[in-house]
Amino acid sequence: MDTFVELSSSTASLCVVGDGSVFAQTVANKLDQHGEFEVSWYTPETFLGLAELPQHPVLLLIDGEAELSSTVGALLRRSYPVALLVSNTASLLAKYAGQMTDVLLWPAPAELLNARINILQRLQDTHAQLDAMRHSLAWHKARVEREHQLVEHIFQNALSRNYLDFKHVHTYLTPVSKFNGDLCLISPGPLGNIYMLMADFTGHGLAPATGALPLSQAFFAMADRGVSVAEMVTEFNFRMNRLLPNDMFCAAFLLELSANGERVTYWNGGMPPALLFDQQGIILKRLPPAHMALGVIDDDEFDSRVGTFRAPPNSSIALFTDGVTELLGHQQKFLGSDALEVLLSKYPRTADFSRLVEELEHFRGETPLHDDLSLAILTCLPTGLGEATPEPDQFGLPFSFDVLLKPEHLSTIDPVGHILSALSQLPYLRRHRTTIYLFLAEAFNNALEHGLLGLDSTLKHDPDGFAEYYQLRQERLLELTEGEIRIHVTFDTKLKQLSVQVSDSGTGVALLDDNHDLTQSYGRGLELLRQMTTDLHWDQTTRTVSFKYSF
Amino acid sequence: MPLHRQFANDGKELIIAIKGKFDFGLVQEFRQAYGNVGDQQPTVFIDLRETEYLDSSALGMLLNMRKSLGKSVKGIHIINCRPEVRSILDISRFDKLFVIE
Repeated sequence: MDTFVELSSSTASLCVVGDGSVFAQTVANKLDQHGEFEVSWYTPETFLGLAELPQHPVLLLIDGEAELSSTVGALLRRSYPVALLVSNTASLLAKYAGQMTDVLLWPAPAELLNARINILQRLQDTHAQLDAMRHSLAWHKARVEREHQLVEHIFQNALSRNYLDFKHVHTYLTPVSKFNGDLCLISPGPLGNIYMLMADFTGHGLAPATGALPLSQAFFAMADRGVSVAEMVTEFNFRMNRLLPNDMFCAAFLLELSANGERVTYWNGGMPPALLFDQQGIILKRLPPAHMALGVIDDDEFDSRVGTFRAPPNSSIALFTDGVTELLGHQQKFLGSDALEVLLSKYPRTADFSRLVEELEHFRGETPLHDDLSLAILTCLPTGLGEATPEPDQFGLPFSFDVLLKPEHLSTIDPVGHILSALSQLPYLRRHRTTIYLFLAEAFNNALEHGLLGLDSTLKHDPDGFAEYYQLRQERLLELTEGEIRIHVTFDTKLKQLSVQVSDSGTGVALLDDNHDLTQSYGRGLELLRQMTTDLHWDQTTRTVSFKYSF
Repeated sequence: MPLHRQFANDGKELIIAIKGKFDFGLVQEFRQAYGNVGDQQPTVFIDLRETEYLDSSALGMLLNMRKSLGKSVKGIHIINCRPEVRSILDISRFDKLFVIE
């Protein structure tokens, strides 16, 4: 509150309305003997004629023994914020006392009259103050409402891609106020998997809901990338730890269901145990919190260890906030986790969800919510979401490029990685980047390791030799002073075909490894190239391996 | 971190996730990741959800792991492969040696 009304100065202002009688004149004479008040004098007519009542106490001086004129009658029947009626008859005072702040039977000591007027003045001040406060409150209320509208809009946008409509999820989300301190987020991942986050910020209302913005943004961005549960919660904790004040944190349950609907990975920080139950309503597993809530622990101490299990087909997982188990019923009793399990056992099938909600609402009756309430049930079935496929490319870019790598390049940069980061930006190629990387890497490593560095693959036949081989690769690469590798890539947009030639200037045996033992840890480079490309050819004279790859 | 290692379910599962490029650049790190699996005979999960690139050296590393772990683990699963990664594993017939999901 920033608007206060100053109390009036020591001289009280007063409106005196006399009925013109001798009585009124007598009181008036007594009144201002000491000049204590700043008085405005009115007749009933002039006073009633005022467009607006003055913001001062009103003193009415009415002779009760005379017959009241209609004007005086109207004067008495009006209502005033602060008014004192002075009269010489108790009957008149009694009759109009209801409209007045105070009444005084005359004759009375002048001191008493003055004291009464001072009280009236203070009352008037209080009225003015209240009025100002009311205005100020109304202004603030309008402002808060406007701000809430804005924030609501932001929330709607931030959560617009929340996939609450996912066919295997049923939710019952009820906030105490407009803003929810609980958060239930669902997003598909790129592998046909689905992520679900149930979070509960300390408290409820706007402040905790604010934390939902950064959390949901991180959630959706990471779900798109298909990040693991452990990494997600580490990032969430990092953000919440920096963002939330010390007395605020965020209990959270994050789970990922694989595309086939079987493998569940979860992390529970401070949330009630989620429940896994089958279609018969038998509780198969409780998933209790193994960690502290988000935003409590520093990064280096944070424990991102997850739990995993295999969910039987058609089983369901109920995620909920403590608002559900601590739901206060109409008999002033909490629901409790046992009762929730009984309810889930009674209504285990997705078709029963609305009846489960009805039972919860029946239990609550008319009792107001004291915490946000969120319940979500996920049925473990193949998600049917499919893998994220980028838009198919319409047009290709014909190109050809040639890279000549000298020892100083070979020992300092990762040529295939660099080539790929450029190629993977191009139409058609980006969707095949993993495959393109593989065959370029095979051809390049063959040229380098066998052609230029003269390494022998058989060294790789056991784990120690394998490590030694790559140690040796590194050493010889650093000692390399001459030789070069040329990589030539052409893309034909008509054939949608990539042609690759990799040549080396070495003397080593650059024939591609050929090994048909499935379990050998080396020698599968050639086999991979054979399977993935066409027109694979080795030219001994130019020391060039060439092949084609069609999209 | 290109390699992330974590036990789950009280040591009954070991999850190794590889991000970005999976090749000989990780040879030491990868060996260390499965170097101490504990005595609970865990199931190992190689999580390739964020593996963008891999080559034959990665396949060799997976086979070395299989060889050296032997019976000390319940099984080795390769999980969350993107379609391209999956087809590389299939071409190499890794489905006969690992559980691929």
